[in-house]
Amino acid sequence: MSSDFYTTQILPYAAIIIKMCRAYTNSQEDFEDYYQEVCLQIWRSHNNFNQQAEWSTWVYRISLNVCLTLLKKKKNNGQHFASDYLPPELVEDSHAFGDESLNQLYDAIRQLSEIDRGVIMLYLEEKSYQEIADIIGTNPNNIGVRIKRIKERLKKILN
Amino acid sequence: MEKSIETIWKEGFLKSDALVAPKLNDLYNQKSIHIVDKFKRMYRINRIAIVVFAFIVLPVSFISGMPYVGILMFILFNFIVIVSGKFKRKLEKIAPGVSSYQYLSSFDTIIKDLVRTNTKLSRYFYPYIFITILLGFWFGDIGGNIPGEEFVAELLIDYPDMHLIFGLPLYGVLGALLILLLLAFFGGKIGQWDLNLVYSGIIKKLEKMILEMEELRA
Repeated sequence: MSSDFYTTQILPYAAIIIKMCRAYTNSQEDFEDYYQEVCLQIWRSHNNFNQQAEWSTWVYRISLNVCLTLLKKKKNNGQHFASDYLPPELVEDSHAFGDESLNQLYDAIRQLSEIDRGVIMLYLEEKSYQEIADIIGTNPNNIGVRIKRIKERLKKILN
Repeated sequence: MEKSIETIWKEGFLKSDALVAPKLNDLYNQKSIHIVDKFKRMYRINRIAIVVFAFIVLPVSFISGMPYVGILMFILFNFIVIVSGKFKRKLEKIAPGVSSYQYLSSFDTIIKDLVRTNTKLSRYFYPYIFITILLGFWFGDIGGNIPGEEFVAELLIDYPDMHLIFGLPLYGVLGALLILLLLAFFGGKIGQWDLNLVYSGIIKKLEKMILEMEELRA
Protein backbone atom coordinates (compact mmCIF):
# COMPACT_ATOMS: atom_id res chain seq x y z
CA MET A 1 0.00 0.00 0.00
CA SER A 2 1.65 3.20 -1.08
CA SER A 3 1.48 6.15 1.26
CA ASP A 4 -0.38 7.94 -1.57
CA PHE A 5 -3.12 5.36 -1.48
CA TYR A 6 -3.37 5.61 2.28
CA THR A 7 -3.43 9.42 2.23
CA THR A 8 -5.96 9.82 -0.55
CA GLN A 9 -8.16 6.76 -0.33
CA ILE A 10 -8.15 5.76 3.31
CA LEU A 11 -7.24 8.65 5.57
CA PRO A 12 -10.16 10.90 4.45
CA TYR A 13 -12.47 8.01 5.37
CA ALA A 14 -10.65 7.02 8.56
CA ALA A 15 -13.58 8.28 10.67
CA ILE A 16 -15.80 5.59 9.14
CA ILE A 17 -13.30 2.87 9.96
CA ILE A 18 -12.69 4.18 13.48
CA LYS A 19 -16.38 4.42 14.29
CA MET A 20 -17.07 0.95 12.93
CA CYS A 21 -14.08 -0.76 14.58
CA ARG A 22 -14.83 0.78 17.98
CA ALA A 23 -18.24 -0.91 17.95
CA TYR A 24 -16.63 -4.32 17.59
CA THR A 25 -13.69 -4.07 19.95
CA ASN A 26 -13.25 -3.84 23.69
CA SER A 27 -9.70 -2.57 23.91
CA GLN A 28 -7.32 -0.13 22.27
CA GLU A 29 -5.07 -2.99 21.18
CA ASP A 30 -7.92 -4.81 19.44
CA PHE A 31 -9.13 -1.56 17.95
CA GLU A 32 -5.72 -0.86 16.38
CA ASP A 33 -5.54 -4.42 15.02
CA TYR A 34 -8.99 -4.11 13.48
CA TYR A 35 -8.19 -0.69 12.05
CA GLN A 36 -5.00 -1.99 10.41
CA GLU A 37 -6.77 -5.03 9.04
CA VAL A 38 -9.53 -2.90 7.52
CA CYS A 39 -6.94 -0.60 5.88
CA LEU A 40 -5.11 -3.60 4.49
CA GLN A 41 -8.31 -5.13 3.19
CA ILE A 42 -9.34 -1.88 1.51
CA TRP A 43 -5.98 -1.76 -0.22
CA ARG A 44 -6.16 -5.43 -1.21
CA SER A 45 -9.63 -5.13 -2.68
CA HIS A 46 -9.57 -1.66 -4.18
CA ASN A 47 -9.32 -3.13 -7.67
CA ASN A 48 -12.71 -4.77 -7.14
CA PHE A 49 -14.34 -1.45 -6.33
CA ASN A 50 -17.38 -0.87 -8.48
CA GLN A 51 -17.21 2.75 -9.66
CA GLN A 52 -21.03 3.02 -9.65
CA ALA A 53 -21.11 2.94 -5.88
CA GLU A 54 -19.58 5.58 -3.64
CA TRP A 55 -16.11 4.95 -2.27
CA SER A 56 -17.40 5.67 1.25
CA THR A 57 -20.02 2.92 0.86
CA TRP A 58 -17.21 0.56 -0.15
CA VAL A 59 -15.24 1.57 2.92
CA TYR A 60 -18.27 0.94 5.15
CA ARG A 61 -18.80 -2.46 3.58
CA ILE A 62 -15.18 -3.55 3.95
CA SER A 63 -15.01 -2.23 7.51
CA LEU A 64 -18.11 -4.12 8.52
CA ASN A 65 -17.04 -7.34 6.79
CA VAL A 66 -13.56 -7.25 8.30
CA CYS A 67 -14.93 -6.56 11.80
CA LEU A 68 -17.40 -9.44 11.50
CA THR A 69 -14.72 -11.78 10.17
CA LEU A 70 -12.26 -10.91 12.91
CA LEU A 71 -14.94 -11.37 15.54
CA LYS A 72 -15.77 -14.76 14.12
CA LYS A 73 -12.08 -15.73 14.16
CA LYS A 74 -11.74 -14.66 17.78
CA LYS A 75 -14.89 -16.54 18.63
CA ASN A 76 -13.48 -19.68 16.99
CA ASN A 77 -10.24 -19.25 18.93
CA GLY A 78 -12.23 -19.13 22.14
CA GLN A 79 -11.24 -15.56 22.94
CA HIS A 80 -13.51 -12.94 24.43
CA PHE A 81 -15.18 -11.00 21.71
CA ALA A 82 -17.18 -7.85 21.73
CA SER A 83 -20.58 -9.49 21.64
CA ASP A 84 -19.80 -11.20 24.93
CA TYR A 85 -21.40 -8.88 27.37
CA LEU A 86 -18.74 -7.35 29.52
CA PRO A 87 -19.60 -4.82 32.23
CA PRO A 88 -18.50 -1.32 31.12
CA GLU A 89 -15.88 -1.14 33.87
CA LEU A 90 -14.10 -4.09 32.24
CA VAL A 91 -14.23 -2.62 28.75
CA GLU A 92 -11.15 -0.50 28.17
CA ASP A 93 -12.89 1.21 25.27
CA SER A 94 -15.58 2.54 27.61
CA HIS A 95 -13.52 5.72 27.73
CA ALA A 96 -12.31 5.81 24.15
CA PHE A 97 -14.02 9.08 23.34
CA GLY A 98 -13.88 12.42 25.07
CA ASP A 99 -17.66 12.64 25.28
CA GLU A 100 -19.18 10.57 28.09
CA SER A 101 -22.61 10.20 26.46
CA LEU A 102 -20.95 8.87 23.32
CA ASN A 103 -18.98 6.35 25.38
CA GLN A 104 -22.21 5.19 26.99
CA LEU A 105 -23.87 4.90 23.60
CA TYR A 106 -20.95 2.77 22.35
CA ASP A 107 -21.19 0.56 25.42
CA ALA A 108 -24.86 0.05 24.61
CA ILE A 109 -24.13 -0.63 20.93
CA ARG A 110 -21.58 -3.29 21.93
CA GLN A 111 -24.38 -5.18 23.67
CA LEU A 112 -26.32 -5.56 20.42
CA SER A 113 -25.96 -8.51 18.08
CA GLU A 114 -23.12 -8.25 15.58
CA ILE A 115 -25.32 -7.37 12.59
CA ASP A 116 -27.52 -4.99 14.59
CA ARG A 117 -24.40 -3.06 15.53
CA GLY A 118 -23.61 -2.57 11.86
CA VAL A 119 -27.17 -1.56 11.06
CA ILE A 120 -27.41 1.07 13.78
CA MET A 121 -23.96 2.48 12.97
CA LEU A 122 -24.95 2.93 9.35
CA TYR A 123 -28.25 4.48 10.40
CA LEU A 124 -26.46 6.93 12.69
CA GLU A 125 -24.13 7.75 9.81
CA GLU A 126 -27.28 8.78 7.92
CA LYS A 127 -27.14 6.08 5.30
CA SER A 128 -30.40 5.43 3.48
CA TYR A 129 -32.28 2.17 4.06
CA GLN A 130 -31.27 1.08 0.58
CA GLU A 131 -27.58 1.76 1.28
CA ILE A 132 -27.78 -0.02 4.63
CA ALA A 133 -29.42 -3.00 2.96
CA ASP A 134 -26.74 -3.00 0.25
CA ILE A 135 -23.91 -2.90 2.75
CA ILE A 136 -25.42 -5.49 5.08
CA GLY A 137 -26.61 -7.59 2.17
CA THR A 138 -30.27 -7.79 3.16
CA ASN A 139 -33.72 -6.70 2.03
CA PRO A 140 -34.33 -2.91 2.42
CA ASN A 141 -37.97 -3.53 3.42
CA ASN A 142 -36.99 -4.89 6.82
CA ILE A 143 -34.43 -2.22 7.65
CA GLY A 144 -36.92 0.36 8.98
CA VAL A 145 -38.54 -2.09 11.39
CA ARG A 146 -35.16 -3.42 12.44
CA ILE A 147 -33.82 0.08 13.17
CA LYS A 148 -36.91 0.89 15.25
CA ARG A 149 -36.38 -2.26 17.30
CA ILE A 150 -32.67 -1.57 17.77
CA LYS A 151 -33.33 2.01 18.87
CA GLU A 152 -35.83 0.80 21.46
CA ARG A 153 -33.29 -1.71 22.76
CA LEU A 154 -30.61 0.97 22.93
CA LYS A 155 -32.93 3.31 24.84
CA LYS A 156 -33.67 0.52 27.29
CA ILE A 157 -29.97 -0.19 27.83
CA LEU A 158 -29.11 3.49 28.17
CA ASN A 159 -31.86 4.09 30.73
CA MET B 1 -34.75 16.67 28.12
CA GLU B 2 -33.14 13.34 27.33
CA LYS B 3 -30.99 13.35 24.20
CA SER B 4 -31.84 11.05 21.31
CA ILE B 5 -29.19 8.59 20.20
CA GLU B 6 -28.86 10.54 16.94
CA THR B 7 -28.01 13.71 18.90
CA ILE B 8 -25.55 11.87 21.16
CA TRP B 9 -23.85 10.51 18.05
CA LYS B 10 -23.61 13.85 16.25
CA GLU B 11 -22.62 15.95 19.23
CA GLY B 12 -20.28 13.29 20.56
CA PHE B 13 -18.22 13.23 17.41
CA LEU B 14 -18.29 17.01 17.07
CA LYS B 15 -16.76 17.40 20.51
CA SER B 16 -14.62 14.32 20.46
CA ASP B 17 -11.02 14.30 19.38
CA ALA B 18 -10.95 10.50 19.38
CA LEU B 19 -11.32 10.24 15.62
CA VAL B 20 -7.58 10.33 15.17
CA ALA B 21 -6.48 7.43 13.01
CA PRO B 22 -3.99 5.12 14.68
CA LYS B 23 -0.62 4.80 12.99
CA LEU B 24 -0.22 1.89 10.66
CA ASN B 25 2.60 0.05 12.27
CA ASP B 26 4.04 -3.23 11.12
CA LEU B 27 0.81 -4.44 9.57
CA TYR B 28 1.88 -8.05 9.47
CA ASN B 29 3.27 -8.34 12.97
CA GLN B 30 0.57 -10.57 14.45
CA LYS B 31 -0.13 -12.41 11.20
CA SER B 32 3.47 -13.45 10.68
CA ILE B 33 3.86 -14.69 14.25
CA HIS B 34 0.59 -16.54 13.91
CA ILE B 35 1.49 -18.32 10.66
CA VAL B 36 4.93 -19.41 11.91
CA ASP B 37 3.48 -20.63 15.21
CA LYS B 38 0.79 -22.56 13.36
CA PHE B 39 3.40 -24.25 11.17
CA LYS B 40 5.57 -25.11 14.17
CA ARG B 41 2.56 -26.63 15.90
CA MET B 42 1.61 -28.74 12.88
CA TYR B 43 5.21 -29.79 12.30
CA ARG B 44 5.54 -30.91 15.91
CA ILE B 45 2.32 -32.96 15.72
CA ASN B 46 3.52 -34.49 12.45
CA ARG B 47 6.84 -35.56 13.97
CA ILE B 48 5.13 -37.04 17.02
CA ALA B 49 2.73 -38.95 14.74
CA ILE B 50 5.70 -40.43 12.82
CA VAL B 51 7.40 -41.57 16.05
CA VAL B 52 4.15 -43.10 17.35
CA PHE B 53 3.58 -44.83 14.00
CA ALA B 54 7.15 -46.21 14.01
CA PHE B 55 6.62 -47.74 17.45
CA ILE B 56 3.29 -49.24 16.39
CA VAL B 57 4.61 -50.72 13.12
CA LEU B 58 7.50 -52.52 14.85
CA PRO B 59 5.55 -54.84 17.20
CA VAL B 60 2.70 -55.27 14.71
CA SER B 61 5.16 -56.50 12.08
CA PHE B 62 6.59 -59.08 14.48
CA ILE B 63 3.12 -60.25 15.45
CA SER B 64 2.04 -60.56 11.81
CA GLY B 65 5.15 -62.53 10.88
CA MET B 66 6.81 -59.83 8.77
CA PRO B 67 9.52 -58.52 11.10
CA TYR B 68 11.72 -57.18 8.28
CA VAL B 69 8.99 -54.76 7.25
CA GLY B 70 8.71 -53.48 10.80
CA ILE B 71 12.45 -53.12 11.34
CA LEU B 72 13.09 -51.39 8.01
CA MET B 73 10.08 -49.08 8.41
CA PHE B 74 11.16 -48.31 11.97
CA ILE B 75 14.60 -47.32 10.67
CA LEU B 76 13.04 -45.18 7.92
CA PHE B 77 10.63 -43.35 10.25
CA ASN B 78 13.40 -42.64 12.71
CA PHE B 79 15.58 -41.33 9.93
CA ILE B 80 12.72 -38.99 8.90
CA VAL B 81 12.37 -37.78 12.49
CA ILE B 82 16.13 -37.12 12.71
CA VAL B 83 16.12 -35.16 9.43
CA SER B 84 13.02 -33.22 10.47
CA GLY B 85 14.76 -32.42 13.77
CA LYS B 86 17.26 -30.36 11.79
CA PHE B 87 14.41 -28.21 10.44
CA LYS B 88 12.78 -28.01 13.85
CA ARG B 89 15.99 -26.51 15.26
CA LYS B 90 16.18 -24.06 12.36
CA LEU B 91 12.56 -23.04 12.97
CA GLU B 92 13.25 -22.46 16.63
CA LYS B 93 16.13 -20.14 15.80
CA ILE B 94 14.09 -17.60 13.84
CA ALA B 95 12.59 -14.88 15.99
CA PRO B 96 10.21 -12.01 15.18
CA GLY B 97 12.89 -9.49 16.05
CA VAL B 98 13.78 -7.02 13.33
CA SER B 99 10.74 -6.87 11.03
CA SER B 100 7.85 -9.07 9.99
CA TYR B 101 9.22 -9.16 6.45
CA GLN B 102 12.61 -10.48 7.56
CA TYR B 103 10.93 -12.89 9.94
CA LEU B 104 8.72 -14.30 7.20
CA SER B 105 11.57 -14.33 4.67
CA SER B 106 13.67 -16.46 7.05
CA PHE B 107 10.69 -18.71 7.58
CA ASP B 108 10.14 -18.95 3.82
CA THR B 109 13.80 -19.92 3.28
CA ILE B 110 13.46 -22.75 5.80
CA ILE B 111 10.21 -23.93 4.20
CA LYS B 112 11.78 -23.91 0.73
CA ASP B 113 14.74 -25.88 2.07
CA LEU B 114 12.33 -28.30 3.73
CA VAL B 115 10.39 -28.80 0.48
CA ARG B 116 13.64 -29.28 -1.45
CA THR B 117 14.98 -31.84 1.03
CA ASN B 118 11.65 -33.63 1.17
CA THR B 119 11.50 -33.83 -2.63
CA LYS B 120 15.04 -35.15 -2.82
CA LEU B 121 14.60 -37.77 -0.11
CA SER B 122 11.19 -38.87 -1.44
CA ARG B 123 12.93 -40.21 -4.54
CA TYR B 124 14.53 -42.80 -2.25
CA PHE B 125 11.81 -43.13 0.39
CA TYR B 126 9.02 -44.45 -1.83
CA PRO B 127 11.12 -47.11 -3.60
CA TYR B 128 12.49 -48.04 -0.15
CA ILE B 129 8.98 -48.41 1.28
CA PHE B 130 7.91 -50.49 -1.73
CA ILE B 131 10.88 -52.83 -1.58
CA THR B 132 10.58 -53.10 2.21
CA ILE B 133 6.95 -54.17 2.02
CA LEU B 134 7.61 -56.50 -0.90
CA LEU B 135 10.66 -58.23 0.61
CA GLY B 136 9.12 -58.20 4.05
CA PHE B 137 6.13 -60.06 2.71
CA TRP B 138 8.21 -62.34 0.48
CA PHE B 139 10.60 -63.48 3.20
CA GLY B 140 8.08 -63.30 6.02
CA ASP B 141 7.02 -66.14 8.24
CA ILE B 142 3.31 -66.84 8.22
CA GLY B 143 2.32 -70.02 10.05
CA GLY B 144 5.80 -71.49 9.59
CA ASN B 145 5.68 -70.94 5.83
CA ILE B 146 7.57 -68.41 3.74
CA PRO B 147 4.89 -66.55 1.75
CA GLY B 148 7.21 -65.88 -1.22
CA GLU B 149 8.07 -69.54 -1.69
CA GLU B 150 4.42 -70.57 -1.28
CA PHE B 151 3.40 -68.01 -3.88
CA VAL B 152 5.98 -69.26 -6.42
CA ALA B 153 4.97 -72.87 -5.77
CA GLU B 154 1.31 -72.04 -6.46
CA LEU B 155 2.23 -70.12 -9.59
CA LEU B 156 4.27 -73.07 -10.88
CA ILE B 157 1.21 -75.30 -10.58
CA ASP B 158 -0.77 -72.96 -12.88
CA TYR B 159 2.15 -71.95 -15.12
CA PRO B 160 4.67 -74.83 -15.08
CA ASP B 161 6.72 -73.30 -17.94
CA MET B 162 7.10 -69.95 -16.14
CA HIS B 163 10.59 -68.36 -16.42
CA LEU B 164 12.35 -68.06 -13.08
CA ILE B 165 15.36 -65.96 -12.19
CA PHE B 166 17.10 -66.87 -8.90
CA GLY B 167 13.90 -68.71 -8.01
CA LEU B 168 11.72 -65.66 -8.62
CA PRO B 169 9.16 -65.27 -11.44
CA LEU B 170 10.85 -63.25 -14.22
CA TYR B 171 7.79 -61.14 -15.03
CA GLY B 172 7.25 -60.48 -11.35
CA VAL B 173 10.83 -59.26 -10.99
CA LEU B 174 10.49 -57.09 -14.09
CA GLY B 175 7.19 -55.67 -12.79
CA ALA B 176 8.73 -54.91 -9.41
CA LEU B 177 11.73 -53.25 -11.09
CA LEU B 178 9.39 -51.15 -13.21
CA ILE B 179 7.44 -50.04 -10.15
CA LEU B 180 10.74 -49.23 -8.39
CA LEU B 181 11.86 -47.12 -11.33
CA LEU B 182 8.52 -45.31 -11.48
CA LEU B 183 8.61 -44.61 -7.74
CA ALA B 184 12.16 -43.31 -8.01
CA PHE B 185 11.16 -41.13 -10.95
CA PHE B 186 7.91 -39.79 -9.47
CA GLY B 187 9.00 -40.00 -5.81
CA GLY B 188 9.76 -36.29 -5.70
CA LYS B 189 6.30 -35.44 -7.01
CA ILE B 190 4.64 -37.86 -4.59
CA GLY B 191 6.65 -36.30 -1.76
CA GLN B 192 5.49 -32.82 -2.76
CA TRP B 193 1.90 -34.00 -2.97
CA ASP B 194 2.25 -35.60 0.46
CA LEU B 195 3.70 -32.40 1.92
CA ASN B 196 0.99 -30.32 0.28
CA LEU B 197 -1.69 -32.50 1.84
CA VAL B 198 -0.61 -31.25 5.24
CA TYR B 199 0.97 -27.85 4.70
CA SER B 200 -0.37 -26.44 1.42
CA GLY B 201 -2.70 -23.99 3.22
CA ILE B 202 0.15 -22.46 5.20
CA ILE B 203 2.59 -22.45 2.27
CA LYS B 204 0.10 -20.66 0.00
CA LYS B 205 -0.76 -18.15 2.72
CA LEU B 206 2.93 -17.52 3.31
CA GLU B 207 3.59 -16.88 -0.39
CA LYS B 208 0.62 -14.49 -0.55
CA MET B 209 1.75 -12.58 2.53
CA ILE B 210 5.31 -12.20 1.28
CA LEU B 211 4.05 -10.98 -2.10
CA GLU B 212 1.82 -8.41 -0.41
CA MET B 213 4.62 -7.29 1.88
CA GLU B 214 6.96 -6.84 -1.07
CA GLU B 215 4.29 -4.80 -2.81
CA LEU B 216 3.82 -2.71 0.32
CA ARG B 217 7.56 -2.14 0.59
CA ALA B 218 7.86 -1.08 -3.06
